[in-house]
Amino acid sequence: MSNFEKVGSGYSLDLTLDEAQILINLVEQLLELLGEGDFFHHYDSNNLDDPLAQLLAMPSEIVTPDDPVLLRLLPNAYADPEAASDFRRYTEPQLRGSKQRNLRLVREQLTVLVDENHGGVIEELDADIWLKAINDLRIALSIRLEINEDSFETFELLPDEDPQKSVYAVYFWLGWLQENLLGLLL
Amino acid sequence: MVKTLSKEEVNISELIDRPWITIVWDDPVNLMNYVTHVFIKLFGFSKEKAHELMMQVHNEGRAVVSTGTREEMERDVQRLHEHGLWATLQRDDKI
Repeated sequence: MSNFEKVGSGYSLDLTLDEAQILINLVEQLLELLGEGDFFHHYDSNNLDDPLAQLLAMPSEIVTPDDPVLLRLLPNAYADPEAASDFRRYTEPQLRGSKQRNLRLVREQLTVLVDENHGGVIEELDADIWLKAINDLRIALSIRLEINEDSFETFELLPDEDPQKSVYAVYFWLGWLQENLLGLLL
Repeated sequence: MVKTLSKEEVNISELIDRPWITIVWDDPVNLMNYVTHVFIKLFGFSKEKAHELMMQVHNEGRAVVSTGTREEMERDVQRLHEHGLWATLQRDDKI
């Protein structure tokens, strides 16, 4: 069973190969959803023709995400659509970038275990980055699973052969993992 | 003599300098300990104060976590979003 531990002034995480593979797959999926390329890859509106917008690296507009996972991870800051859209235009690239950086760092640390095809201990991990990355993974899964207050019961009642059962299991495992790390911090 | 201004020229609500507020909304995903941790980290609250606000979000569905200028609240909302909390900003309704 995986476990975070406090080691000196830092933290470590002990993972089995299966757990490391599950985590890295989720991280990859979320990175794909967030987009992995450079800035203009995600915000490739027609402003690429506008030399000033290009110079300032500021898209003329960023549309509110259609995908409910992206909308939850990159939410509206205002109830008013116009204010929300204006705020998004100035801040969404930075928010998206911060989530991508966290996930990439976690992926980098997991890659060692997965590439060498064994479980093991990840040393010197940044607790704050891991907390945020695990939280974003839980949010993404929660939207797909339509998690609500009764979801644990739903999970327990699902027959083992139901394909959603394992997704629920991963979701609750991530919650346990996050709680485990929080217990060392609080 | 004094000319009376039309109603359109006097917009009371714009004259009153109401502060802006940051609201954190409840969701079924974020762990209670995580929300407390984020409040302590971002706002420097004591453990007790952070726990109290977290419970308010949990029980009442929302809590005001900071008050200030619009720019300050935009920064707070952005930092809360970076941590995966669901937050919005608005003018304070109370006068």
